[in-house]
Amino acid sequence: MAVSTHAPVADKRLLPPSKSLIGLIRPDTSTGLVDWLTTVDHKKIGIMYGGFALFFFLLGGIEALLIRLQLMYPGGTVVSAQTYNQLFTMHGTTMVFLAVMPLNAAFFNFVMPLQIGARDVAFPRLNALGLWAFVAGALILNLSWLFQWAQVFGWFTPVSGQMDIVPAIGWFGYAPITGKNYSGIGTDFWIFGLQVLGVASLVGSFNFITTIINMRAPGMTMMRLPLFTWMTLITSFLIIFAFPAITIALVELMFDRFFGTNFYHVEMGGQPILWQHLFWIFGHPEVYILILPTMGIVSEILPTFARKPLFGYPMVVFSGAVIGFLGFAVWSHHMFTTGLGVVATAAFSLLTMAIAVPTGVKILNWIGTLWGGHIRFSVPMVFALGFIWMFMMGGFSGIMHSAAPADAQQQDSYFVVAHFHYVLIGGALLAILGGLYFWVPKIFGRMMSEKVGYIAASAIIIGFNVAFFPMHYLGLTGMPRRTHTYLAGFGWETWNFVATIGAFVLGIGVLMVIIDLIRTVASGKPCGSDPWDARTLEWSLPSPVPAYNFAHNPVIPGRDAWWLHKYGKKPEQEIEYEKTGPEGIHMPSQSWWPLVSSVGLLVVGVAMALHSAGVPYCGYVAIGGLGLSVVSFFLWALEGPGGYHLTPPDDGDEPQKVLASYTPEPSQKLELTH
Amino acid sequence: MNAHALSLESLIKEEAKRYHAFINLAFILAILTSTEIVIIFLPFASWLIVTSLVVLSLVKFFCVILWFMHLIYDRILLFLLFMSGLLIAVGTVIALMFLFSPNDLDRSLFSFNTLSMFFNSFCFVA
Amino acid sequence: MNSDISSAATVDALHHEEHSSTGIENKKLMMWLFLASDCMFFGTLITTHLIYRKLYPSGAAEEGILNIKNTFNIELTSFSTFILLMSSFLMALAVSAMHKGQLQSFRKNVLGVIFFGLIFLGCQVYEFTEFSMGNPTAGIPPLTLSNSIFGSTFYLMTGTHGTHVAIGVLWLVAMFFYSFSGRMNIHSAIDVEVAGLYWHFVDIVWIVIFTAVYLIEYI
Repeated sequence: MAVSTHAPVADKRLLPPSKSLIGLIRPDTSTGLVDWLTTVDHKKIGIMYGGFALFFFLLGGIEALLIRLQLMYPGGTVVSAQTYNQLFTMHGTTMVFLAVMPLNAAFFNFVMPLQIGARDVAFPRLNALGLWAFVAGALILNLSWLFQWAQVFGWFTPVSGQMDIVPAIGWFGYAPITGKNYSGIGTDFWIFGLQVLGVASLVGSFNFITTIINMRAPGMTMMRLPLFTWMTLITSFLIIFAFPAITIALVELMFDRFFGTNFYHVEMGGQPILWQHLFWIFGHPEVYILILPTMGIVSEILPTFARKPLFGYPMVVFSGAVIGFLGFAVWSHHMFTTGLGVVATAAFSLLTMAIAVPTGVKILNWIGTLWGGHIRFSVPMVFALGFIWMFMMGGFSGIMHSAAPADAQQQDSYFVVAHFHYVLIGGALLAILGGLYFWVPKIFGRMMSEKVGYIAASAIIIGFNVAFFPMHYLGLTGMPRRTHTYLAGFGWETWNFVATIGAFVLGIGVLMVIIDLIRTVASGKPCGSDPWDARTLEWSLPSPVPAYNFAHNPVIPGRDAWWLHKYGKKPEQEIEYEKTGPEGIHMPSQSWWPLVSSVGLLVVGVAMALHSAGVPYCGYVAIGGLGLSVVSFFLWALEGPGGYHLTPPDDGDEPQKVLASYTPEPSQKLELTH
Repeated sequence: MNAHALSLESLIKEEAKRYHAFINLAFILAILTSTEIVIIFLPFASWLIVTSLVVLSLVKFFCVILWFMHLIYDRILLFLLFMSGLLIAVGTVIALMFLFSPNDLDRSLFSFNTLSMFFNSFCFVA
Repeated sequence: MNSDISSAATVDALHHEEHSSTGIENKKLMMWLFLASDCMFFGTLITTHLIYRKLYPSGAAEEGILNIKNTFNIELTSFSTFILLMSSFLMALAVSAMHKGQLQSFRKNVLGVIFFGLIFLGCQVYEFTEFSMGNPTAGIPPLTLSNSIFGSTFYLMTGTHGTHVAIGVLWLVAMFFYSFSGRMNIHSAIDVEVAGLYWHFVDIVWIVIFTAVYLIEYI
């Protein structure tokens, strides 16, 4: 630890340069780009997560629109069959791992610590590693496009002779197509990209769970946590228990491809079905990893705009936990047509139906929240209402899949495509955009345009339904998913055409949101700290939020603390504050090592894929990349957490009620103690 | 901050008590492991040997996590957190083991014919 | 978290007063979460092994490629199992010493752990070499990563465990040298304890692997 002998300062730029334990100057006083690259501030990390995720979201959207253009007319020739395979593979992988998950993570990072009254996450540098490892994984996946272009121009030829340089194996990469004999280095980019993304998600989740369990402000008991924080907690648990399964599945696949093992080699006794099991043991919880945070967002938006507490808070929390737990016991419903045996099929079918119950409870509670509320309409509310309706429709087709005999008809058809897009666009995306409109005033201190918001929301919801509702019909009339074209005369022409029109309307709506977001960040109308008259703690802070979050630590009087503070009739419902002492607020030091170690991971991923393509010396480069990561982890540990002290500005902005010291009552502590 | 709240002296006394627990445990672990190695060569029914091996491993497993890993001295929250991961893992392992032998499962749990008849009639009605 | 509170009393002391709602240190909580997650990690590996074991009683799709019982060397594996158990015992003593602030005792014990860890790794390297070469004169066929499904699952699983041991050894070696830097004191006990948790976990994984992979072959 750098011994901080200096007095607290008001601004970190006033700090004298301090050295870390390994003798390097800490980038604490940095500004501009270096500040962003070395930051450990959860708010900046959240903003970067959101920025990168929106970029990849646009990329995945362009891939989707190319897919729809190809399918607009029968016998389409917009892209070749192989490019089509690459497009749907990258579209799926991008949307799941590079768009929805990191967008959720952006909200986790920015909002969750503010909601629990913390000054930062438990391990700030690890949080930065989560961000940069995500960027590294995303780059590994998407750099494959660059190598593909290089190959088109003749600058790069894989020795294996297989020309699929971009992954073309579907987002769940079923064996045996991922074997060395059947697919090229695209699969290697995919393996290493996913592996690094897994590292990012795992370290992020360990950090979030520790933060939520351990860093709550005094008085913030578990059953006072805002719903979004609860869903962050449950999602993080799902991530830490689900990702190891795919990590191992990917390691086995990597060994099959690089070191000649037989895990999925049929001719040596390998069982491709094992990959399906391992993938879906991860893959089904993954579905809830995508949707639970967005349920949390909706559970924040609805009470705010209905001006009423969330109906049945304990039941919503409990249902979320039950959904998460059951999510581990239903994976085989993705595999009903593989012949699991009667008992297994019946069991997984029943368990899948059982998940509808807690989900239904949540929908009931959201509607109960609206019931009798003083409802105000604004853009986040429109998205949240759209979420309830669209997600419910996705849920209905989900229940249809849970009946194994019906699923046998729907498997691998456009009906399934319609189902999961209703859940992931109608569900996750609408809620995420709602969350964006809801929290952007807090993040940037500026309001997004209401008018553009309404038009965009209408375009998104209408375009989405026009695009995906016909797919139910297409699927039931037999149109298979993942085929690059279809012949005229099956009765699919009209609805495919309609779906493509809808997809473009949806795309225009999303583009409007993103353009308006950029405009808002640059020159939006400044807003106050609490433009929605909201309920949770983050709205008690100035917008944008200062680096130390809370000038004085809050003491939480109850659930929906900020609402109680504003409208509570009793004095004990006000938020009290523990006064910050003269030593100031302890801030964690910034660090280069999260970024450097992620660069090491990036090098490993790309070099291993190129090694597979026969590029010389790439094996050594990969080892060097791994070495770089290991060395930077050591230096990270040696450098120490460091830290400096800030004094909050004392400009009459004093909290209304400051306590000299505060001892929590025993009952307010987490009850899971001896 | 649990440990910091205690005074150093009481902490050292506590550690001395743990020291004896650790030594006893090391002996117990050694004995259990030797038992395991001996037991596999004894002419008992294989189900009996497998069962005793599983039990012995479980005992060793919990001895280590409870004493060496301090779970018995620590907050119960840590125990619950670890157990949740362990239970999900064990559940998944068991389910997968069954899934890869559907015939065994069907014969051991139910009469295959009755169940498939029931299931078929369900499909027909649906 | 390694500075000496008594020397830099005022401001630095406040760094250490980590806010914790449950009374559990952040580092310890996170290590337990990691271990819970690692259960799933090794669970998946062990299941892969057991599933293929169940599907192919001879260890390979083709009969007669392997002779697992003869390939295995139960004496050697039992020895390394004892070694790992005893290293776990020494690790518990090292953590205990650090809690009492006895740096010398910590160093001795942790050196023992490192030594035993290296013996374990040495046994594993020897075992892998022997298994992969087989013994043609004694009629023991080789067991390699790619000649059978058993080879694939066995080497990947025990190798992953070995990698965990190696990471643990590196970690403890780093701590051993760090203990001479003068920055390690009674307040570093939590760092040692977290490393200890990891080491014990590697031990319990071996308890499971020893039974589920080695002993089960002799029944």
